[in-house]
Amino acid sequence: MDNFELICPAGTPAALRAAVDAGADAVYLGFRDETNARNFPGLNFTRQDVADAVDYAHARRVEVYVAINTYPQAGNLGPWQKAVDDAARLRVDAVIMADPGLLAYAAKRHPDLRLHLSVQASAANVEAIRLYRDTFGVRRVVLPRVLTVPEIAKLNAEIDIETEVFVFGGLCPMAEGRCSLSSYATGLSPNKQGVCSPANHVRYEQRGGALASTLGGFTINVFGEGEQAGYPTLCKGRFVAGAGAGGAPAYLFEEPTSLNAMDLLPELKAAGVRALKIEGRQRGKAYIAAVVRAYREALESFAAGRPVPHIDLQAMVEGGTQTTGAYTRAWR
Amino acid sequence: MRDPDVAQTVSVSNPLAGERARRFETGLSRAGLGLVPRLGRRASDALLARLLRLLADRHPRAFEALRGMPDARVLIEPVDAPVALLMRVGPELSLHALPRGADGVGEAGAADAVVRGPYARLLDLLEGRIDGDALFFRRELSISGDTALILALRNTLDGEEEMDLVADVASIAGPLARVLPVLRRNAGPVLDRIEAARRLLPPPLRRGIERVEARIIGTLPGSGA
Repeated sequence: MDNFELICPAGTPAALRAAVDAGADAVYLGFRDETNARNFPGLNFTRQDVADAVDYAHARRVEVYVAINTYPQAGNLGPWQKAVDDAARLRVDAVIMADPGLLAYAAKRHPDLRLHLSVQASAANVEAIRLYRDTFGVRRVVLPRVLTVPEIAKLNAEIDIETEVFVFGGLCPMAEGRCSLSSYATGLSPNKQGVCSPANHVRYEQRGGALASTLGGFTINVFGEGEQAGYPTLCKGRFVAGAGAGGAPAYLFEEPTSLNAMDLLPELKAAGVRALKIEGRQRGKAYIAAVVRAYREALESFAAGRPVPHIDLQAMVEGGTQTTGAYTRAWR
Repeated sequence: MRDPDVAQTVSVSNPLAGERARRFETGLSRAGLGLVPRLGRRASDALLARLLRLLADRHPRAFEALRGMPDARVLIEPVDAPVALLMRVGPELSLHALPRGADGVGEAGAADAVVRGPYARLLDLLEGRIDGDALFFRRELSISGDTALILALRNTLDGEEEMDLVADVASIAGPLARVLPVLRRNAGPVLDRIEAARRLLPPPLRRGIERVEARIIGTLPGSGA
């Protein structure tokens, strides 16, 4: 039985070294521009940083993947194509992409470059995945976080490329790569500019003991005194339902919570999953070191046939709560 | 089980003693920070400028990035210390210590963004020992003003390897630089012994010692620290 691969995030060179040292099998990262979906201030890698990262990781038999997973803007393909060319030149082990045009470009210009399908492509059915495999030679698909474990098992039984699933970190409950909630509030798109809730549109205000988060001038959540906070994303905002409704604001899409599927390793293995992904390129190196170390320990126990240990990652999670998300959800 | 987000402590064989040594070191550096404004504006600015130059030499990548940011001011306000730091990023990179009254920092209006939290957590964050998002989720850290500026500053500093501000500060304090490694090795076990002895003291005497300690490290009355 092959072991799971552990795919870990890095937003900075220091975070990459933390991930490698803590036990990653591969680290994914992005360039310092809008070609990746974590285009945040002060984050990401210059070309030289990537060259250094590849040297550091390969010397320790760890792979490096580059996420080029936003959608190019019409008439401005240059930055995305250059990102693909540079990733190939820098000897990265795979690129993670979503846009069909860019996949076609990479497949044609760099036939030896391994292609992974980003979660931003939202490919969640057999037909879509086969299309990406047959047309562009995609070797692995990162599944959207909307499928149950039985659905993943059924999917894996019908496709012949590897699947990678998220096991820890922030939860995007929407159709990824299609969500425009943040765009409506800010004019900037997570899918084109790589900024979901761009920081220059986010403000925090203390309202007595409460903490209000606003996005593009809209109050999207108010955390009561002592209540744990979450990211300022609209999908985890509180809303008053119905026109003129006088009810209390409530979560409409998802509550602030973090995915943790450590207890589901046996089920994910039985479902045929190849790789496990930790979310959080925007997080600090302390988060990356702690979470990667915990998952490495869990995977080693699992591979050795021992019970998966309960490792406390509560201090790391959004909103102070953890969930197994759609993996164990009974309703659709 | 030990909180996995608790900052990594200095390397000692006994983890509990290491945590205690880190707390001691944090208290000591907070007390040192409290003394800076007492030097007068010119002398404290000169001292902090020297510290910045030293940090820039040791962490060139981060400081190049800080100088490359647009001109802006961030107030770093430890809620349990008598002093806050106003950091100017951009080409005119600088650091100023501002006295902090019971109701905060009077010059906070000059800042484009403010980061507030307990001194120990802010130090851990600056040194990359702890995850800023996790602190924010737990409401141990609060931010206001320009969120993008704070994020850029956080990511720049977190991207730096092995930042040890206490050792860096000690290195410009002459003899303290030579003493610090010895202190770090021995502070934990010594403090453990002091703590054990303290538990044997009668409560009034114990409370008296605690009041003196709070005064020494510059804890503000009612700060809850």
